[in-house]
Amino acid sequence: MINLILWLLARMQPLIRAAGADYGQLRAIVQVKLMMDSRRNTVNLGRYGKKANEESNNAFLKTLAIYAVLGSLLSIGMLGTPEPGVLFFPLTLQFAYIMALCALTLISDFSTVILDSSDNQIILPRPVDSRTLWLARIVHISSYLTAIALSISLGGLLVVSYRFGALAGVVFLVMALLSAVLMVFLTNVFYLVLMRFVSEEKLREVINYVQILMAILFYGGYQILPRLMNTNEMFSRALPHEWWHFLIPPMWMAGAVNLIVKPAIDTTHLTFLLLALTMPILGLWAMNRFLTGNFVQQLNSLDQERQPAVRKDASGMKPVSEQNRGNLVDRLSGWLTRNPLERAAFGFAWRITGRDRKFKLKTYPQLGFALAYTVGMSFQKMGGMFYLFALYFAGIYVMVAQLQLSVSDNYRASWVYGSAPIRQPGDVLVGSLKALITKLLLPFYILIASYILYQFGLDKIDDVLLAFSNSLVMLMSSALMSKRYMPFSIAQDALSQNNTSRGILIAAVLGVVGLAHFGLTYLPYGVWAAIPVSVVLVIYLFSQYRKTGWESVEMGG
Amino acid sequence: MNTDQPVIQLQNVFQSYGSTPVLKGIDLSVSAGQVVGYIGPNGAGKSTTLKILIGMLPDFTGEVRVLGMDVKTQSLDIKRRIGYVPENAALYDTLTPMEYLNFLGQLYELDPAHIEHKALELLRLFQLSDHAHARMTTFSKGMRQKVLLISGMLHNPDVIFLDEPLSGLDANAVVLVKEIIRQLANGGKTIFYSSHIMDVVEKISDRIIILAQGQVVAQGTFRELQQQSSGSLEQLFAQLTGSDTQTGVAEEFIHTINQ
Repeated sequence: MINLILWLLARMQPLIRAAGADYGQLRAIVQVKLMMDSRRNTVNLGRYGKKANEESNNAFLKTLAIYAVLGSLLSIGMLGTPEPGVLFFPLTLQFAYIMALCALTLISDFSTVILDSSDNQIILPRPVDSRTLWLARIVHISSYLTAIALSISLGGLLVVSYRFGALAGVVFLVMALLSAVLMVFLTNVFYLVLMRFVSEEKLREVINYVQILMAILFYGGYQILPRLMNTNEMFSRALPHEWWHFLIPPMWMAGAVNLIVKPAIDTTHLTFLLLALTMPILGLWAMNRFLTGNFVQQLNSLDQERQPAVRKDASGMKPVSEQNRGNLVDRLSGWLTRNPLERAAFGFAWRITGRDRKFKLKTYPQLGFALAYTVGMSFQKMGGMFYLFALYFAGIYVMVAQLQLSVSDNYRASWVYGSAPIRQPGDVLVGSLKALITKLLLPFYILIASYILYQFGLDKIDDVLLAFSNSLVMLMSSALMSKRYMPFSIAQDALSQNNTSRGILIAAVLGVVGLAHFGLTYLPYGVWAAIPVSVVLVIYLFSQYRKTGWESVEMGG
Repeated sequence: MNTDQPVIQLQNVFQSYGSTPVLKGIDLSVSAGQVVGYIGPNGAGKSTTLKILIGMLPDFTGEVRVLGMDVKTQSLDIKRRIGYVPENAALYDTLTPMEYLNFLGQLYELDPAHIEHKALELLRLFQLSDHAHARMTTFSKGMRQKVLLISGMLHNPDVIFLDEPLSGLDANAVVLVKEIIRQLANGGKTIFYSSHIMDVVEKISDRIIILAQGQVVAQGTFRELQQQSSGSLEQLFAQLTGSDTQTGVAEEFIHTINQ
């Protein structure tokens, strides 16, 4: 793949020079970046890097294959049957899908690449100018994004070519690639603007939340949108063109393809074509021209900003809000824990889960998904089974968080567990798990429960209570069954795969328990009777977990 | 090069991060062939000065010239002729030393074959021949530091900026690097380095500049500095940077531990 990209890059040499970058340097940077991506075990390319032990991007290729299959299904469904006359709207949806996926990928997985300040020390002292570095990053990202856009549109390409001829296919392909370019442009504008107006210290924080929000929106939109839209009608009727259609990017692309497919060579379609062709290129050109001048400088200040912040802390001028929060944590841990060690672990886990961006990125979207799922499902009025499902579903997501609790980028700091005289590591495990339950599971449960009580009536309170207690049972047994790690003590890739099998086992048990719960709802007071049993079980499991000795704890790194 | 002209020149340089001032009016001038030790307590502004000198921080006020060129407007030309070895062992460690050095050579637009040959030779001299094609993820801190040192000098720069150049090196390598620095300076190159190890600074510097709280508090040869007050550089440093009460602090520290 690297050679292919470099070959393409060589073809674009004049273009790159025209953009004001140094081709040799750009090529060197892109080559090295791609090489490093392929070697890293835990890539900061989010989902794509999982385990690439060999020098190939297997994980990435797998993702591409999945995108290709999904994209094909979508394309066959949407573009397979409609008459040429009404194809405009399905095409719009198709391109919107491509753009959405590109934007999502850019924001969730590649923001680290765009804003990477780790090579400040390496590349900035060298004679590389701002424009070359910026373009190198754009090329680096685009090479992945092009692959993604291609794989999504593969199905559409085949369908369109088969139905309307090769020319239509080619136009479709070009439009798909331009969609990707347009998204590169838009996300970059987003970042550059953000870099300008948000203080650098806050920037990463803001992006983190945007990532979480995007993930939730994506999952949520996937659940909710199809139910809200009356799609049938839109698929069968030709869409009258309105002036504001010219403001919606996917419509440009759709219009351009429609021009060939329909065929309709009129002002409207020609305008669409013109917009589709010029806007992405124009956007990149304008950005290259006007916005990247001090890109390097701003990247550099990303790093700098940390210094004064640290200094302020050292001089004891802690922000007041931080102190208040500290008091809350102290009070909570006072109520909920039994001994000093447990208490320390509680506060420790509470604070780090609130500040570690990776932890938030891994867990919060899952919770958001569960929430979107609950709301989405409730639209369908599935009746009796539904709310139980939603309640137990929440439990699964907290299990993911529990697994994630042992992971940290600063896993090397876990030497403290080794050097401190901890007799029973179970106390630390219980304390940190309690923090997780209080911080993630409880508020989340209250949210879902109140929605369910509101929707289905207050008499469901027994179900909510039992489901909560059962979720704790599940969480505890999952914690007991899986390998036990001290909190934040291992690297991401050390989290071994064999936990998957346990995960499946737990899902099965969860299903059985959920079914049993469902059965109990048919017995008078059956649920109420089960609650004490479940609670006793929780207490028993907690005491077991607390007894964890050093022999059953795996120390990473 | 005109020998009368200073190689490094800073005039009235101010720099702040946000509202925190870091450099408060630095005036410096260094001529060719000197080894300059730039020392100061943590947070005094050493690394900031270095970053300004290599053109990484253009938003300072004042005037800075390196090799007669203005760092604000000619930073690319300056970067081509200077070398920089950062302090925290920042390198792409998934690469092998050869790949890394070749990459950097390309950034300087040097001939690949030439770089290849030179890098291999330099690695051999640092006793890294066996590791020239191994990924640096497994390297010790000393090995990384050696690669970093090579990467800062590969393009034969006229001025070399070093930030803690000896960190992580074993005793033999320290001797070797000290000797390299000396001979580079004898050959007319200018070495500007910051360090916390006073013994080393005292021995290899032609000139010592002491920075405290963003200002130059003393400069000159070690002899000249000794005239202000006798004793080792360590003692002098403590006096000038306002931390000559270390004995008292140590006592207090012990006392607090014993509580």
